Amino acid sequence: MKLLCLGLNHRTAPVEVRERFAVSTSKLGTAAWELAAMKGISEGVVISTCNRTEFYLVAPDARMAFHQLESYLAEKTQLAASVADHFYRLEQASATRHLCQVVSGLNSMILGETEIFGQVKQAYQAALEAGATSTVLNRIFQRAFGVGKKVRTETSIQHGSTSVGNVAVDLAEKIFGHLKDSEVMILGAGEMSRITAQSLVSRGARSIFVANRSYDRALELAAEMGGSAVRFDEWQTVLERVDVVISSTGCPHAIVHRADVEKARHARKFRPLFFIDIAVPRDIDPAVGEIEEVYLYDIDTLEQLAEEARSRRHLQIEQCERIIDAELAKLQLPGCGIPNPRKGIGTTDEH
Amino acid sequence: MDRWLLLAATLLALIGSAGGMLAVHHGHRSRSTVIWMAAAMACQIAFLSIRGEIRCVCPLKDNGEILVFLSWSLTLFYLLVGSAYRISLLGVFSAPLVVLFQSIALLPGVLDAQPKKFDEGNLWHEMHSATSVLAYGALALAAIAGVMFLVLDRQLKEHHLQSGLFRNLPPVRELLVSLERLLWLGGGLLTFGILAGVLMPHDKQVLGHLGHLMAAITIWMCYLLLLAVKSTRGLTGRRLSLWAVGLFILSLGVFAFV
Repeated sequence: MKLLCLGLNHRTAPVEVRERFAVSTSKLGTAAWELAAMKGISEGVVISTCNRTEFYLVAPDARMAFHQLESYLAEKTQLAASVADHFYRLEQASATRHLCQVVSGLNSMILGETEIFGQVKQAYQAALEAGATSTVLNRIFQRAFGVGKKVRTETSIQHGSTSVGNVAVDLAEKIFGHLKDSEVMILGAGEMSRITAQSLVSRGARSIFVANRSYDRALELAAEMGGSAVRFDEWQTVLERVDVVISSTGCPHAIVHRADVEKARHARKFRPLFFIDIAVPRDIDPAVGEIEEVYLYDIDTLEQLAEEARSRRHLQIEQCERIIDAELAKLQLPGCGIPNPRKGIGTTDEH
Repeated sequence: MDRWLLLAATLLALIGSAGGMLAVHHGHRSRSTVIWMAAAMACQIAFLSIRGEIRCVCPLKDNGEILVFLSWSLTLFYLLVGSAYRISLLGVFSAPLVVLFQSIALLPGVLDAQPKKFDEGNLWHEMHSATSVLAYGALALAAIAGVMFLVLDRQLKEHHLQSGLFRNLPPVRELLVSLERLLWLGGGLLTFGILAGVLMPHDKQVLGHLGHLMAAITIWMCYLLLLAVKSTRGLTGRRLSLWAVGLFILSLGVFAFV
């Protein structure tokens, strides 16, 4: 019996192809059961996320199993035969290693992201409940989860935020803890401020105030985010109550000056205030950052922090691979009997 | 026996301190510090029990006992506050202070080798000593929270966000809330200690007692003023922290000489 993996991901297929193979979470169990029910296939797990769809199966004849699965998928998706070029086909140790890399976040679009661990676990659980797994896949998946946990515990592959929005949100949490008691003001209803504010809301920020030169646009964005619109000449009043200010106005000169913040300090009782300036040219006078209770971060600083986190994660890849190697080597798992030279991230054994 | 217990308490706090610092340096949470500190506290309690039994009064009769009692109250408040307000890193900062206080107590001459037995203790006198030292335990912890805030504030201001310490420090707002609560707790206990001090008999060494009481009242008023300003007008985190640290150092200095 051989462990096999047939899949496509963000590296091998564009979104218009990936979306045709996507399986909704509620149907993962059924899909796994259908896979295991195919002739010559004894076990199956289907993983489907926005970046990948992968089929893990156990079969005695790899060529036949791949052919059968691909024909089934071609028929189901009604795509041209050339779509097969997007698939990677992995066998035995390569498939196990790949699963470990996926679970550890090494194969993800955002290196080291943690969400994939839960998604794979959910897919496996669905297959298990559907009765589509048995000895081989149960052992492989359990081991892969163990490896994934070890990689995350023993390396810093998941440390630091890799996008400007997440860096800003992490900083807000470092300043205010739970954001459920925090209020946010957006100056300028641009796309970046909308994304950042949405991240804050998703982490629990209590309320959002939107101030924009075009009041209609402020109303629109406020409605979209479940917040309140503020006339642009009234933002100083709102400053007295908010904890976070996200600014991205497109104005050619600074709009928030030290004097504006100084005026609000007494009313705020000198509580901490976090300014996120994602505008170019900057909206907030750097002198604002000199005020004791103010933490000011501009786009360059946020971008630099995100870049540093990305670099640090990349430096961890080798260590992660070593852990995977060691874990796979010391366990006589089915499909791992063949010594396998370490592969780079994203490399696949295509047949 | 009592010295051995004190030595054990100091070593346990030292291990907690070193382990905690190492963990934080590597960017991990210092999970074991709380265990070492709890063990150190058990030894402190055993030490204070033995001394209390010998003296037949609250063991606050020499500088060594005062320092151990202060370390005990510091450990007690850390164990209460650290877990309650998710600021467990407070232990990593408290443990060195406990080690310092207890090491001083272990120096020759600081702790009476032959503690004198007291026939009868005055209730107000003992209440004054015990609550005052408990208050300084809370105020010491407030000062430590202040130091933690100052470190975090500097890192956030200067955008130095990569250290293990930064990752492990609790959020600014939680630190400030804990700091303020500890100040209120310390202030409340100190108020009770001052009242007990006023009510205790002052027939012997009148000048010495009066000087001590005046110093205590001055420190108490400073703390009350700080809390009043924070509650009414408001205060930046940096100033509140600096005042908490400064007043604690001042109080230690004052009582070392008065």
